Amino acid sequence: MSSRAAGWIRIVVVAAVLAALYALALHKHAERERLRDAPVALTADCRAKLEAYGLRAGGHYRSPYLQRTGVNPDARQGYREQDVRAIQRGCNLIDDLQGYQAKGGAPERWHASRFVRGTSTTCVHCHQSVGDKHDGEGRRIPGSNNLGASWVMADMYDRFTGLLLPHELRQMQCFINSSNGFKPNAADDVIRDITAYSRFLSGALGMKIGNRYPEQGIEEIPASATRRRGDDYVRGAHTYRERCAACHGLQALGNVVDGRTRYPALAGPESFSLDSRMNFTAVNTIMPGFICRNMPPGAEGSLDPQQCRDIAYYLSTLPRPAGDRQGPLAALWQQGMMIVMPPLTRYAETLGGRPQTHTQAHSSR
Amino acid sequence: MNVVGGAVLRSVAALRANFVVGLTLAVVTLPQAIAFATTLAGLPPHFGIYAAIWGVLFTAILNPSRVFSGGPNTTMSAAIGITLLPVAPPFGADYMGYALTLILLAGLVQMLFVLVRPLGRMLDLINEPVINGLICGIGLFLIFKSLTSFGGLPINTQVEWPLWIAWQSLLAVLELGNMHAIQIGLITLVTSLVARRVYVLRNWSILIGVAAGTAYSQYLNATIGLQNTLIEQIANLSRIGLVLPSVPLFNQEAMSDIIAILPGAITLALLGLFQTVAAMRRMNRKIGSYTDSRKGIFADAVSNCVLPFLSSLPTCASFNRMWLVYSLGGHSRWSSVSSAIVLLAMVLFLAPVIAIIPMPAMAAVIMLLGANMINWEDIRPHFSSRREATVFLASFLSVLFLDLFGAVVAGSVLAIAYSKWEQAHPSITPEDGVLKIRGNIYYGSLPVIEATYHRALERNPKIRLDISECFYIDQEGIRWLAAAKARQAIELIDRRKGQDRRRLQRRTAADAKRMAGRRRSRQDRRQRHLF
Repeated sequence: MSSRAAGWIRIVVVAAVLAALYALALHKHAERERLRDAPVALTADCRAKLEAYGLRAGGHYRSPYLQRTGVNPDARQGYREQDVRAIQRGCNLIDDLQGYQAKGGAPERWHASRFVRGTSTTCVHCHQSVGDKHDGEGRRIPGSNNLGASWVMADMYDRFTGLLLPHELRQMQCFINSSNGFKPNAADDVIRDITAYSRFLSGALGMKIGNRYPEQGIEEIPASATRRRGDDYVRGAHTYRERCAACHGLQALGNVVDGRTRYPALAGPESFSLDSRMNFTAVNTIMPGFICRNMPPGAEGSLDPQQCRDIAYYLSTLPRPAGDRQGPLAALWQQGMMIVMPPLTRYAETLGGRPQTHTQAHSSR
Repeated sequence: MNVVGGAVLRSVAALRANFVVGLTLAVVTLPQAIAFATTLAGLPPHFGIYAAIWGVLFTAILNPSRVFSGGPNTTMSAAIGITLLPVAPPFGADYMGYALTLILLAGLVQMLFVLVRPLGRMLDLINEPVINGLICGIGLFLIFKSLTSFGGLPINTQVEWPLWIAWQSLLAVLELGNMHAIQIGLITLVTSLVARRVYVLRNWSILIGVAAGTAYSQYLNATIGLQNTLIEQIANLSRIGLVLPSVPLFNQEAMSDIIAILPGAITLALLGLFQTVAAMRRMNRKIGSYTDSRKGIFADAVSNCVLPFLSSLPTCASFNRMWLVYSLGGHSRWSSVSSAIVLLAMVLFLAPVIAIIPMPAMAAVIMLLGANMINWEDIRPHFSSRREATVFLASFLSVLFLDLFGAVVAGSVLAIAYSKWEQAHPSITPEDGVLKIRGNIYYGSLPVIEATYHRALERNPKIRLDISECFYIDQEGIRWLAAAKARQAIELIDRRKGQDRRRLQRRTAADAKRMAGRRRSRQDRRQRHLF
């Protein structure tokens, strides 16, 4: 066969491959389009949340929350059918990113598990109560990581990166660092639906774009908020054993039953990365704030600021995935540590001859 | 008078022939330059075009090689993008400032290679497998990297491990890419591929592909409308004139970022110099001439120190364009100079046409160039030897798993280690009492020689050492030979040239005396420098 003919054959092969990819793209696009139009099966928490906010398609929207809190809101422009579906899908993503509660599995969550390295991570671990936490009397809680408050902060200056971050890029940071994964493309439905849900929350809560609300982010606890005894991870380990280990486990590897996370991992492969703002050594005010505000469930506020800082410090010393900026060698080292350290620690625990406490009996991992 | 007239006629004919080469070169360079700047470096298109004008012109003037062609380069543009993505958002004013600073720093690093002679010589120690591994890795990386632009999606703005991102990008293009963009990209790709098979259109294939993609994009604009297709196009260049002065960003606030991009600057400088030195080496051998690679380094360094003040990408040798000049029969620097002039005219008069070129077509061009960089004909020889294959694969994989800087370091270290390994393992053939050593006798190879020597000594107490085919013996080797001779265990066979042999004899005799406990004479000490 002449080289001329071989050249043409090569072109035909390349063209065939490209045509196959084009056909695949058409098929995938059609599948996405079908899912965008399909009715959404809400998770239990999402159904409660969205019903409480009176989400339905129509020409006007009036927030029940604002009516209840005494503000008489103007009727806002309502939501179309496709907007409602986007908001519902966004809420589902926040509550159940990996699609364990979805009948259709991963496609129903836009394959969001693709962007997360762990198998149990989901947004609601940090953005509690589907990104909109209220106290017993139904009031919003300051520093509760509210997604609506986060959306109205869109395109604001981010002091950690020094960038003007759109809400989409901020979400990507969550995917990269807090869930130790990969960022979805800015045009991905994952990002768009979560944005739709966050925007809906801000409207339902009567938040105005460009304002900063105390519910946004986490109420930080700097060293100046303590009595300046200095942060101490040994003290932190002690407090962790007493107050946290019962749920999160002695090694902080979390508690997962039947694929549903009951208590998220605070260390190990399922946890946030070294680059995450939740990591004490990356940003030393956020994790203490989160602990003091939200932990332990049912007894919030029982830990003093210094204890929160100590626990956060202790958690940062446990092995966890490296951030993507740290490169492959650091990642390899952290992977090794995550394999080696838990059995070593478990062995070290047995050496002391401590009597088994109730905390050990409860931790399943 | 006749003689002068003939010379004038000949030079006019040469000028005309080179002008045709220059015209082709300009037409080929233009889409490349735009694609490099916009899709790879994250800079406006005029950066690439000015590199194709001023970069080509400067290197043509400063580099005496006849087939050299400089200008914007794929790898260097990609290195700029990779280095700066974490520092600032692309296409912004800060980003441009940082890019110019990065180029200037790279130029200064290259200047260091001119001033410190051994550094420049070090570049010759980088062997072909490393360079080919880098080039192939970068080629693959370019294909992955342009996926998002090909699918009309926003470019990912944070650097991560390219392979993972490539997979995610492919899935994103398949599932949510802009179908119009994908169609334009595919049309560009297939048209270029077909045009390349037709001999007459061969050198114009990329231009034809871009023209087809642009025509289809214009058709879509006319029927569906740009507001519905949402296809990104290259901005209008009509405001850009002959020269666009620019100043690199150097201020106190930027200092921490500038320090952070220093490794990137070194990578950029090295990537440019590697390619210049390797391309000059290969092309000069092809035309059977010789140009000192230092002159090429000098031309690059000076150009890259000046180009950041003219809003231009850095310059270095371009393999594919040099090949084009060679295959079209270009045989003087006039071809490069005329290409720069033609390009300048095109930018001044064709800016509105350039403005409507769609970005997916540019991404397709980058993909084609990336695929061209993976040339099986260049790679195949490396797989015949296990060592070369290892070095090649190491530098190839490290581009994909580490970054470019890591790849340069890993590849160079491996290449040097292998050349040292090669030298440290002379071929030793023992046959009935004669040990024949082919290679070097020096500190690195001595343990290997000693091992074989002592094993042979156990079998045969009287050994003859044949060092006729040793081309390098260092002081330690001489001392060892002398010691062995002093113990009367061996007899040296030396069938080398008289002068070499006498030197070694004198030296080993003197050392043997010393080993025997005598003091060396003054004469011996004076002759030490001979070794």
